[in-house]
Amino acid sequence: MPVSLTPNAITAINDGDVNLKPLLQVLEIKMIGRSQERSQERYRFLISDGVSAQHAMVAVQLNDRVKSGQVEKGSIVQLIDYICSDVKGRKLIVVLNMETIVPHSETIGNPTIFGETDTEAQKPLSAVGNIPPPNRVVFNEPTAQHSVNRAPPRGVNIQNPANSTPSFRPSVQPSYQPPASYRNHGPIMKNEAPARVIPIAALNPYQGRWAIKARVTAKGDIRRYNNAKGDGKVYSFDLLDSDGGEIRVTCFNAVADRFYDVTEVGKVYLISKGSLKPAQKNYNHLKNEWEIFLESTSTVELCPDEDGSIPRQQFSFRPISDIENAENNTILDVIGVVTSVNPSVPILRKNGMETHRRILNLKDESGKAVEVTLWGEFCNRDGRQLEEMVDSAFHPVLAIKAGKVSDFSGKSVGTISSTQLFINPDFPEAHKLRTWFDHGGKDTASFSISRDTMPGGVSRNEIRKSVSQIKEEGLGRSDKPDWITVKATISFIKTDSFCYTACPLMIGDKQCNKKVTRSGTNRWLCDRCNQESDECDYRYLLQVQIQDHTGLTWITAFQETGEEIMGCPAKKLYALKYELEKEEEFAEIVRDRLFHQYMLKLKIKEESYGDEQRVKMTVVKVDKMNYTSESKYMLDLLVR
Amino acid sequence: MDTSSPSVFVNGALMRRYVGQKVRTVIQVIGSDIGSVVGKSTDDLQIVVRGSSPTPPLTTYLEVIGIAESDNAIRAETWTNFGNSFGTHNYNELCKLANGEFKHLFI
Repeated sequence: MPVSLTPNAITAINDGDVNLKPLLQVLEIKMIGRSQERSQERYRFLISDGVSAQHAMVAVQLNDRVKSGQVEKGSIVQLIDYICSDVKGRKLIVVLNMETIVPHSETIGNPTIFGETDTEAQKPLSAVGNIPPPNRVVFNEPTAQHSVNRAPPRGVNIQNPANSTPSFRPSVQPSYQPPASYRNHGPIMKNEAPARVIPIAALNPYQGRWAIKARVTAKGDIRRYNNAKGDGKVYSFDLLDSDGGEIRVTCFNAVADRFYDVTEVGKVYLISKGSLKPAQKNYNHLKNEWEIFLESTSTVELCPDEDGSIPRQQFSFRPISDIENAENNTILDVIGVVTSVNPSVPILRKNGMETHRRILNLKDESGKAVEVTLWGEFCNRDGRQLEEMVDSAFHPVLAIKAGKVSDFSGKSVGTISSTQLFINPDFPEAHKLRTWFDHGGKDTASFSISRDTMPGGVSRNEIRKSVSQIKEEGLGRSDKPDWITVKATISFIKTDSFCYTACPLMIGDKQCNKKVTRSGTNRWLCDRCNQESDECDYRYLLQVQIQDHTGLTWITAFQETGEEIMGCPAKKLYALKYELEKEEEFAEIVRDRLFHQYMLKLKIKEESYGDEQRVKMTVVKVDKMNYTSESKYMLDLLVR
Repeated sequence: MDTSSPSVFVNGALMRRYVGQKVRTVIQVIGSDIGSVVGKSTDDLQIVVRGSSPTPPLTTYLEVIGIAESDNAIRAETWTNFGNSFGTHNYNELCKLANGEFKHLFI
């Protein structure tokens, strides 16, 4: 069947035409491998107009067309929505929407790769690539009638390849539009026209200018951090657009200050300019391989006239029975009826900070139930509300957006910072569940996919080991540190050096605590703060020998745990030993701390000092023996 | 250790097995009279302990060693205050194990 490709289409596209809707042939399809393992794959085409050929990136939402074979090598396609951007002097076409016209065809003509054009000369022309969106009437009167901002629903006129080719020709737009009103500004002029609104799914780092219209679905708090480069703050928010595309936006420092108050959850914004970087999959669960970093030139404008075409939230609820087979750390949405809520309990985090935890049970129509762990703020805010409801014999529906699956004991779902909870939400899934629960679901037994708490009141994520097991099992040798609990007695405490001089200055809301050195007369210099202070703090750095019935080992205790072990602040001990020189009294205190039994939570990690590998054991929590719970623990070992 | 006169760990229910023999148990004191103390065993049964009770005050929990007179009464020889907090569940389990699976370990 004779199909003619649109002549000179490649040149026209490179000159900035986005309305041509040309017929082009796909000569090559290549999957672009991504370094990040979880990122989405992307396809690159080599497209030809019969004379010239050029590479084109294909927006990820079109990946299915390639996978399903709708587009393959040789296919003739009509580009419906596309842009051409300038990346490091090279033109790159990005295909946002296309239709297959002829599934298979021999190569037409003898195309050659489109050469490097004189990019300088092209500049004013390429600007047309970013046609203003139609709602910006001021700028685009001349172009309004052929705007392609919203491409017609796919395949308006072309679905049947058997249809003779000319039938869709009328839809083809004039091949080239001169630049709009700003052409008077001279040949080399920055393009001041607003960027074109594109779907979030079409965003990629190769576009120079873009704009997206999206609703803020979640917004994080401003977080302060401190790293090698110094202090800073960061916050991020999540966007959802009318095509269901989602992406996270991150702002640092001044940019964060500028946009934090502007962005409000639930509102729709027009966002433009900013760089795209690979998404940090550890923190970012959104279905997008990119993340937007806003810059000082970025704009975030409220769209007051939003029409509700963008959903408030996008859920993809998974039945609880699915969670049973979900991998650890999977982020997913789940909805269920809350059957019980436990009280909030304080928990010591691995980094030594205290937080709160509250466990509740959720069940759904799949006949399974799961434990949901609320952390930190969720415990108080939403947790209390849920607890009150359940206490008054009402079982609310709870929708969890972005909960994290944990496989520690059975499967459970926990909150992360970007999790959102919706109590008795007003959407169909919730109403369906409510109906199910009220009409029998309440009384059906659900099998819990979470294991019940370990007996003996022992915290469930406590791994009990004996001292000799640490060595025998090679703890700390894997990538991650091992966290274990030993029941042991302190048999020796090193006293020649038990503390260090610490920087008392505050960094943000935390004390610096880095080691300070004496400078001049009684001044203390901190390398990190690069400041001197009159006084220094004394913090424990304590070497302690512990033993149980299997053996003995050395552990290190820092400030908080050190104070727990010694029973008094390091400063007091230091003064006693070095300033008051009361050696006897000092020795007495130390002696008094020996031969007490504790439950010690240890962090074990092998570290290298030069060529030497040493297993480092740090106490993160010291608990006095609770004989009742320990007896119960041992009893349970006996009867198990 | 004096093994000449062993005493068996019992809770309320196990008493009947050892009537006439020497037992030891821990009770939660409910009330005391002259010459006797009424208490609750770790398995929630009432036990009367006779004999010259120690000088008050009694703590909440009390260990007594003596002869089981019946399935709910003991003539006590030794009284020990066990304080105001005690893991009754654990003690009860201990009694069961000491008279069951691990009887051979106890004299």
